[in-house]
Amino acid sequence: MSLSRILRIVLVLAVTIMGVGVIAPAAAQGGNTLIMARAVDATGLDPHTQTAFASLRLLELIYEPLIQADENLNLVPALAESWAFSEDGLQLTLNLRQGVTFHDGSAFTAEDVIASLARILDEATGSATRTNLLSIESMEAPDDYTVVLNLTLPDVPLVAALSSINTAILSSEVIASGDPTADVVGTGPFMLESWQPEEKTVLKANPSYWGDGPFVDGIEIRIIPDEATIMAALRAGEVDFVMFNDPLIATLPVGDATFTINRAPEISYHALQLRAAVEPLDKLEVRQAISCAIDRQEVVDVAALGEGQVTGPLTMPAWAVSLDELFCYEQDVELARELMKQAGLEEGFTLPVIAAVAEPPTALSEAQVIQEQLKAINITVEIESLEFGTYVDRWLAADFVGAIALNGGRPDPYPMYSRYWQYGANFNNVAGYIDDTLDRLMKEGQVETDPAKRYEIFVEFQKHLAEMSPWIWLYTGYTYTGQQAYVTGFIPTPTGSIYYLSQVKLNR
Amino acid sequence: MSARSDSIGELAKEPSVLRRLLRSRSGALGLVIVAFYVTVAVLGLLQITPYPPTEQHRVDRLQGPSSQYYLGTDMFGRDLLSRLIKGSTNSLYVAFSCVAISSTLGTLIGTASAYIGGTFDNVMMRIMDIFFAFPAILLALLVVVILGRGLDKTIIAIAVVYTPIFARVARGPVLSVKEMEYITAARCIGMHHRRVVFFHVLPNTLAPLIVQVSLALSWSLLTEAGLSFLGLGIQPPEPSWGVMLSESQGISEIAPWLMIYPGLAIMLGVLGFNLLGDGLRDVLDPRMKRLR
Amino acid sequence: MFRYLAQRLVAVIPTLIGISLLVFVAIRLVPGDAITTMLGTEAGMLTEKQRASLEAYFGLDKPMVEQYFSWIGRVLQGDMGYSVRHGKPVLTLILERFPVTFELAMLSLVIALAIGISIGTLSAVRHNSMIDLFGRLFALTGLAAPNFLIGTLLIYVLSVYFGILPNAGDYTDFTENPLKNLKQIIFPALTLGFSFSASVMRTTRSAMLEVLGQDYIRTARGKGLRPRAVIFGHAVRNALIPIVTLAGVELGYLLGGAVIVEKIFALPGIGRLTLNAISQRDYALIQGATLFIAFNFVVINMLVDLLYAAIDPRISYVSKK
Repeated sequence: MSLSRILRIVLVLAVTIMGVGVIAPAAAQGGNTLIMARAVDATGLDPHTQTAFASLRLLELIYEPLIQADENLNLVPALAESWAFSEDGLQLTLNLRQGVTFHDGSAFTAEDVIASLARILDEATGSATRTNLLSIESMEAPDDYTVVLNLTLPDVPLVAALSSINTAILSSEVIASGDPTADVVGTGPFMLESWQPEEKTVLKANPSYWGDGPFVDGIEIRIIPDEATIMAALRAGEVDFVMFNDPLIATLPVGDATFTINRAPEISYHALQLRAAVEPLDKLEVRQAISCAIDRQEVVDVAALGEGQVTGPLTMPAWAVSLDELFCYEQDVELARELMKQAGLEEGFTLPVIAAVAEPPTALSEAQVIQEQLKAINITVEIESLEFGTYVDRWLAADFVGAIALNGGRPDPYPMYSRYWQYGANFNNVAGYIDDTLDRLMKEGQVETDPAKRYEIFVEFQKHLAEMSPWIWLYTGYTYTGQQAYVTGFIPTPTGSIYYLSQVKLNR
Repeated sequence: MSARSDSIGELAKEPSVLRRLLRSRSGALGLVIVAFYVTVAVLGLLQITPYPPTEQHRVDRLQGPSSQYYLGTDMFGRDLLSRLIKGSTNSLYVAFSCVAISSTLGTLIGTASAYIGGTFDNVMMRIMDIFFAFPAILLALLVVVILGRGLDKTIIAIAVVYTPIFARVARGPVLSVKEMEYITAARCIGMHHRRVVFFHVLPNTLAPLIVQVSLALSWSLLTEAGLSFLGLGIQPPEPSWGVMLSESQGISEIAPWLMIYPGLAIMLGVLGFNLLGDGLRDVLDPRMKRLR
Repeated sequence: MFRYLAQRLVAVIPTLIGISLLVFVAIRLVPGDAITTMLGTEAGMLTEKQRASLEAYFGLDKPMVEQYFSWIGRVLQGDMGYSVRHGKPVLTLILERFPVTFELAMLSLVIALAIGISIGTLSAVRHNSMIDLFGRLFALTGLAAPNFLIGTLLIYVLSVYFGILPNAGDYTDFTENPLKNLKQIIFPALTLGFSFSASVMRTTRSAMLEVLGQDYIRTARGKGLRPRAVIFGHAVRNALIPIVTLAGVELGYLLGGAVIVEKIFALPGIGRLTLNAISQRDYALIQGATLFIAFNFVVINMLVDLLYAAIDPRISYVSKK
């Protein structure tokens, strides 16, 4: 065969393949299965040890905790139908839902609850949520559907801790004789059929789910690592439901679209963490000057294209205080300069700030806006952007002066901040600041059972934090999901959970 | 290969390399583009830009090209033209530094390896193979993750990737030249090894090296852009073409100029170095002579 | 011939050991480990005992030297280790992902050769004409535009103007659904192929120019052979050697995975696997994948050498003794 012929055949072949690729549009697919896409996959399947948001979003569809935070962050029944503290607050009694079965057909009873909580408390499990359950002294099951937790102190926030997927209830059989990191047996609306990490997860509807739904046959979760490609897939109608992290991509104005983007305010917060343990941040005036020099609204407007709300330390609507009650939430450069003068640092100083690449996607932009804003008080911000794993390593070792952080929120203020603002707390060294007032307020906030008094405690807590300015709280963003017009019934939640996918109907 | 040693002598008699380069269409075009970029980079170095490249005019953010901002502004309201000029400085700085390091190091290793020969040659080449067989972008990525992000670290990362290529390019000609009579003769009359290498062996590797340099320059531009796309290039807010392109991710639809201009800058840059490389090859490669 | 092959294979071993050592040390120099990358900042909530039990789970509890030797020992027995994050043996993972990378590499190469050889030949035959200049400019544009730029634009155009996107994360095997598979592979392959076509073009052109200037071509012309017959019958065949070399080198690179293109087009190839492994500090997987990629690279280079002998009768690997 002559070379010219080979060449020609190759060319014809290439053109044909290209043609085939373009002409034939995607065939209708999915049936009653929801095709979903997101950029980041779960890092593992054990609800007790997984902490990444991406893992929680998957596990929330498969497993259930005793209590659930709903779309308004109210604690509502899940596997527990009701719960009550004893008079002295030293006992928490949980009444369990009856007639619930695990995906393997076994019945859900008090035994499973005790085994699951015991597994979290067992140090060999390596569960980071253990710290939230440390007040549990012992557990007993008077009958199959009642669990009593005996506590060392009145621990009101324990209820909120039990509403996290990290305290999900696993089958006691799997805990005893299986491998909970691989045997995925929950009680949730969907059952895991297959998990190909970084590729595809297939979920099947749980036919004997105790609650309403699910109304789809299953969910196919595809990993598309680039969010711009996710947006393209949504536009092309190749996927039914998507999740976005990057507000820049999620809020692209798309004319006459056949899909909608949902957004819900998050309770995670973006902050500039300062370490008051490091000079010259040990001077209150310097930290306050930074707080006053930063225009938080501008950070939102520029770095997140306006997608967010300026926030104080507590991000949950039920706990937040009005921003004008907080110290220097209105930018005041004059006052900032005055404070720098008082600190004897009119000439300014260099402030190194670490930020993770794309974690969150706006991190580097926030750092750059703050860098520019702090020039007004002669502070030179040196941005050090780090790959995420490196960032976490440095953060945990408290090896930084300033850090752009996106920290998780909780429905309850105590588990949200007890790790930072108490003497000897796990992250107190990372937080880099502590005083007696903070420590006292945290401890009072844990044991106070009267909701009104508790609220007052945390109002004082927030005002004190803002005034001491150990960190600069910036804003809360939104969680974004997108769905085709034929997808109905989804409710976004402030925790970012997508467990309302169990309510979704497809009207293709 | 035998023609090569002669050609060095002939080079002097022929019209200068530059003149011959200008005579070839692609070489001339490449030279013009490269000269243009070098000029722009110098402007950036001297800070001759319409605005300071990192100055934010936050009220004017995401503006299209206008008489105030010739190429528009980015999401921080920074002037794109100013950033593009300074970006050229940084991108070219990275490219030239990488290539300077890798070509020097690579040539030294390649030449020494071939000249000394034997076990040394074997060991050095195996070491080069190790780096050669390592996927380029992953190697650069690993280096950046270990060292951290930043201008100098990016340079080291890319230089590590290209050193073995230069070592190979340099080794070949040295091997063939080494055994030639005039080298043996030089050694016989008691010339020092170092002198032999520098005055007689190295010049013979120059032609392929120069070509390789101009191509490597274009690769390092692309590698830097790739690293930036993965979030591991130069430290912001300093601009480079790659950083600017990766910053345009996500907003390029509402502000296409943010992608178009840095994209064009990279493309033209790579094109320029490639055309120059091709032109140089035509001029310097003795085998092409009969075509002229 | 076989002796030559055996020698080459033996020579590969130190290189592979070097690579394994390099990657083993390098990845451990990276800050953070599998625990901190999995748990994020929550890793700080662990007690020492909890951390120790997770370290044992991820196999991080042994001294580094011991880790290396036990790993390399297992590799020699064909066991590349186990990826805890994926819950699968490393070799299984690699073999699952490799076909994607292989197919992408082959198709890209075909595209690169198709574009490169045709423009290169044309360019050489019409040396210094406008066709020459524009043909080269076209091929060079492919090289000059960063992959992610072409990829992003392709995806945008496809989804917005054509309303399709075959690369929506649902990668399908060729054996399962060839048509769907081709649709998913073709666009990333175009992206890659376009960028590689420039070097093929350049090599073809200069090789052709050289060949066209040689005496036997002049003779052929002089004999009155039609120009086309001269070009395809003689010139292209002789220009093949450098092209094969180049194709080999590029295939070696492509088989290492195209990290960026795989990411943009959501292809589950080797490149993305390795990239994720690095960001997750999945040591076993990084080591296994890199070794595999390097092995491929070395083997392909060897095959290219053998191919020379087939193409060029002047080269022979039979020992001359």
